[in-house]
Amino acid sequence: MLEILLVLTPAVPALIAILWPLQGVRRALVSAAPWAALPALFLALHPGAEGTAFAFPAFFTGLHLAIDSTSKVFLVFTSILWFLAGAFARSYHASDPRKESFFGFFALTMAGNLGLVVAGDVLTAYLCFAVMTFAAYGLVVHERTSPSLRAGRIYIIMAVAGELCILTALFLLGAAAGDAPLFGSELERAWAVLDEEGLATGVGFLVAVGFGVKAGIVPLHLWLPLAHPVAPTAASALLSGAMIKAGLLSWLRFLPAEIGMPALGATLLVAGVGTAFYGVAMGVAQDDPKTVLAYSSVSQMGYMTLGVGLLLLDPSTAPAAAFAVLLYAIHHGTAKGALFLSVGVWDRVAVPARIGSASPRAEKGGAGGSKPLLVILGAALPAAVLTGAPFTSGARAKTALKDALHLVGGGWYPWLDPLLLAAATGTTVLMARFLLALHRREPKGDPAREPSHTRGLALPWVALVALSVGGHSLLPFWFPLPEGIDFPRVLVHLPEATIPVAGGVVLAWIAWMRPGWLGRAGRWRIPAGDLVVPLERTVGGFRKVPANAMAQEVERRLSRIRTAQVWAHARAAWVAERDLFLIRGPVLALLLLALSVGLALLMP
Amino acid sequence: MPLLTGFAEWETLPLLVVLSSFAPGVVIMFLREDQRGLRTTLNMIGATLKLLLVGLMLTGVAAGIEYRWAMTVLPGLELVLIGDALALLFVTLSAVLWMVTTIYAIGYLEGSPNRTRFFGFFSLCVTATTGVAMAGDLFTFVIFYEALTWTTYPLVVHRGSEAAIRAGRLYLIYTLTAGALLIVGAVGLYASAGTLEFVAGGAIDPQLVHENPGRYLIIFFLLLGGVGVKAALFPVHGWLPVAMVAPAPVSALLHAVAVVKAGAFGVIRLLHSVFGIELATEMGVAAVVAAGAAFTIVYGSLRALTQDDLKRRLAFSTVSQLSYITLGAALLLPLAHIGGLVHLVHQGLMKITLFFCAGILAETISVKRVSEMGGVGRRLPLTMIAFTVAALGMIGLPPIAGFVSKWHLGLGGIESGAEWIIPVLLASSLLNAAYFLPILRTAWFDPQNAEWNAAERESWLEADWRLLWPALITAGIALGSGLFANTAWSPLGWTRLIVYGGGL
Repeated sequence: MLEILLVLTPAVPALIAILWPLQGVRRALVSAAPWAALPALFLALHPGAEGTAFAFPAFFTGLHLAIDSTSKVFLVFTSILWFLAGAFARSYHASDPRKESFFGFFALTMAGNLGLVVAGDVLTAYLCFAVMTFAAYGLVVHERTSPSLRAGRIYIIMAVAGELCILTALFLLGAAAGDAPLFGSELERAWAVLDEEGLATGVGFLVAVGFGVKAGIVPLHLWLPLAHPVAPTAASALLSGAMIKAGLLSWLRFLPAEIGMPALGATLLVAGVGTAFYGVAMGVAQDDPKTVLAYSSVSQMGYMTLGVGLLLLDPSTAPAAAFAVLLYAIHHGTAKGALFLSVGVWDRVAVPARIGSASPRAEKGGAGGSKPLLVILGAALPAAVLTGAPFTSGARAKTALKDALHLVGGGWYPWLDPLLLAAATGTTVLMARFLLALHRREPKGDPAREPSHTRGLALPWVALVALSVGGHSLLPFWFPLPEGIDFPRVLVHLPEATIPVAGGVVLAWIAWMRPGWLGRAGRWRIPAGDLVVPLERTVGGFRKVPANAMAQEVERRLSRIRTAQVWAHARAAWVAERDLFLIRGPVLALLLLALSVGLALLMP
Repeated sequence: MPLLTGFAEWETLPLLVVLSSFAPGVVIMFLREDQRGLRTTLNMIGATLKLLLVGLMLTGVAAGIEYRWAMTVLPGLELVLIGDALALLFVTLSAVLWMVTTIYAIGYLEGSPNRTRFFGFFSLCVTATTGVAMAGDLFTFVIFYEALTWTTYPLVVHRGSEAAIRAGRLYLIYTLTAGALLIVGAVGLYASAGTLEFVAGGAIDPQLVHENPGRYLIIFFLLLGGVGVKAALFPVHGWLPVAMVAPAPVSALLHAVAVVKAGAFGVIRLLHSVFGIELATEMGVAAVVAAGAAFTIVYGSLRALTQDDLKRRLAFSTVSQLSYITLGAALLLPLAHIGGLVHLVHQGLMKITLFFCAGILAETISVKRVSEMGGVGRRLPLTMIAFTVAALGMIGLPPIAGFVSKWHLGLGGIESGAEWIIPVLLASSLLNAAYFLPILRTAWFDPQNAEWNAAERESWLEADWRLLWPALITAGIALGSGLFANTAWSPLGWTRLIVYGGGL
């Protein structure tokens, strides 16, 4: 039974994607797409799921699926997000002419993402990761506008770069193991072999960078703030809630916690802290609420990166650090998903004030109505969760992370602790920035829309908000606790938990009400994608010069010397596809020479 | 099934496989242009018969039979056809792809002149390919290799345009010079070592080479020059992109499979069955071949980047991908050989799909350039799905066949102590992504930018079924070869049988 669920987890969404070319069944497939996440959810919630494994040796290079405590945690929030975001998207894209395209890529991306969570060997994981990455391109460019195509281009360039890093690491791991290793002891042995050859750290860095593109650590985050705002809201929620976590999961899967990698651990730790601050600094300088959220995701992934760093720094802290990362992932996944859906609800449900006030309330479509305030309040709940306010899952996750930090030696704790406190304060400011930006965003709700669409948008959103706020109190009954670790309470140190929130609120209040106090810093604006902009300018500088003008210039300058003509011919041949006339002569001469030499030498 | 087993043990099966396309080819030559039904029937009977015979041989070889058919031509010179696992890898590929390409060609050439000549030579060309695959010694190999040149020429110049004639002349210059090199090399080999036999692990006595290394170096490079032209190794690849003026089915079968694979297969035979990989490595020639192949891989991809003509881009991609096979064969240890050999099949499947799709684009909506492909995914969704599968496979994305090749090549490279091929593979993947992904983006996500009618599509059948189905079938096999790579009957499984069974 459990094996069947395990196979269905990637197979059901994959089947929907495979059947997609058949146009006759598309309508049914669109309806079925969100439900394809349910086998995964049932599996994740099943108390006996851990330890289930299934192998299909004939498939690919040997397909292995397995579920352990890590995959169980990732599976639960990933499948919930896919289900709820899918349900949300059904209403969000109800009148979208490209609805079918959206759900096709949706199903394929889901298959990759869920498959990755339950993958049992490195190549199955790589397969699922690649499917997810390339299918998600279709979600990013869904709008087909020029900003979305630009975001898609940056996304795919970075994704391909990441894939190449991963592939290199896989080659080396595979060669060390003799074949594609299974996760667990086989992979550990491969790492041990690489360690003996002195390659382990290098390969570790390749893995960190390869999956780091997905996880969004600075400076590999460039695609993230571009892709999130242009993707449809449900897709943004999935990107931030589920897919960037896939990078995190892959780190946990691939990197050898048992051996430890101090150099890589320290690097990730520093990169994590830097990312946490960088995300906040860039995020507060944004006006689009979805971009603010994207930068918040960058910042939050910093915390999780820090956790992975701890895990590698010192094998003895690994269980505590892994536990903290899991808790953080589930916390951030649900909260960020809810936040993104809030933007979608705001866009579609909240009716612009002037229309709202002009028409009587009764005409505004019953359950939907014009309730901007309600949407803002609803969005404020997951925002508060994300800041780590007391009694939220954020408080639990941060406490767990801090506990793991306590365990690690090497003098990290004294300076990391205050830094984390400061970063958490930044998170509060960022969330305040988000709520303000959301409030200022023009609502585009149509008062004449169908009530069922309002319900279809509101229900998944409310469910996800409720889960992000209250879900964590259910965790102790289900969460696979490692030995020797207690479930962190929601309120350990009241001052520590409240300082960042209170401090952030005060800062946000100053920024909003007394911007003069901050001077120029209060008006700080950065284009979304930060470093991408100068990078594109540099690359574009080369590309924008017309090729012909450049070639003419080169030829004009070179024509003074005799060799210039050779060069010009070579260049023209390369560009104008006339290489034959250049190389035919010499090559044939060489062949004939070889022939005659051969004949001469072979004469007895 | 005693009857079937009886047939499978038939010694003359290799000859029958060759004749199954030779006979229809010869008969078709004598048909009148308007005898369309008879011509099609003959073609299909030949293709079906060949598939059946090859199927029989496959079961036989899997059961441990080694076929050998010989006929003495001159005292001491035999025409030898063998059917072992390695030969069957290539024979099966060409038999299956001949079948689908024949269907494609019937649809593609509908109503155009000179079809009798076309299909006649088409069958003869497949005959020559089969002969190359099953050649048991260098003499037989040379005969069929030269025959392949002569039977392909009429197909390259089929259109009769000035460009086609020019391309044909160039093709002849390249291949005939190469053929001359091959013959001189073969004569030299016979004079020096006294054998032309193909022997797994090498036919030449290493002692002879040690006594006279210079002589064998010359022989090696003469033979390499002979097979390298058809294998499109840099710098003798120039004929391939030019030959793209041929009709789409010719480009598809001949320039993705038959001709270029005959060259690549020749390199494998040269390295493994004539010299033996250990001897070739010791002489240092294997390293030269590997380096040349690695350079060609990167060079072909670089050239593909700048091509706007879809078929030319695909042609340069062929130049690049073919060298995967050569590279794998030139490394020392089995995993790399598996990677190279399996790419012989995988590349053929993926590239023929791409050419089929390019032909559909050209025939159905007259789109021949990458820059005109905006939004074609909406007009030809199934075609572009097939194209997408094949293109992603070329990049080497799992689970499509190309990844399986790349994975074994990479592991084999490290195993053979040639870690430098990892950067080559990565660069190739990157460049493949750089010239295939923009095509996919244009086709699926960009607005229409050429003159075709989006509403023209009447049913789900977006193009002539004889064009569409072959593309879908080969794309399906390419995907299936990756998805079920670990089964015994997949190309990978069969390649493992060859390499680990000592057939190389």
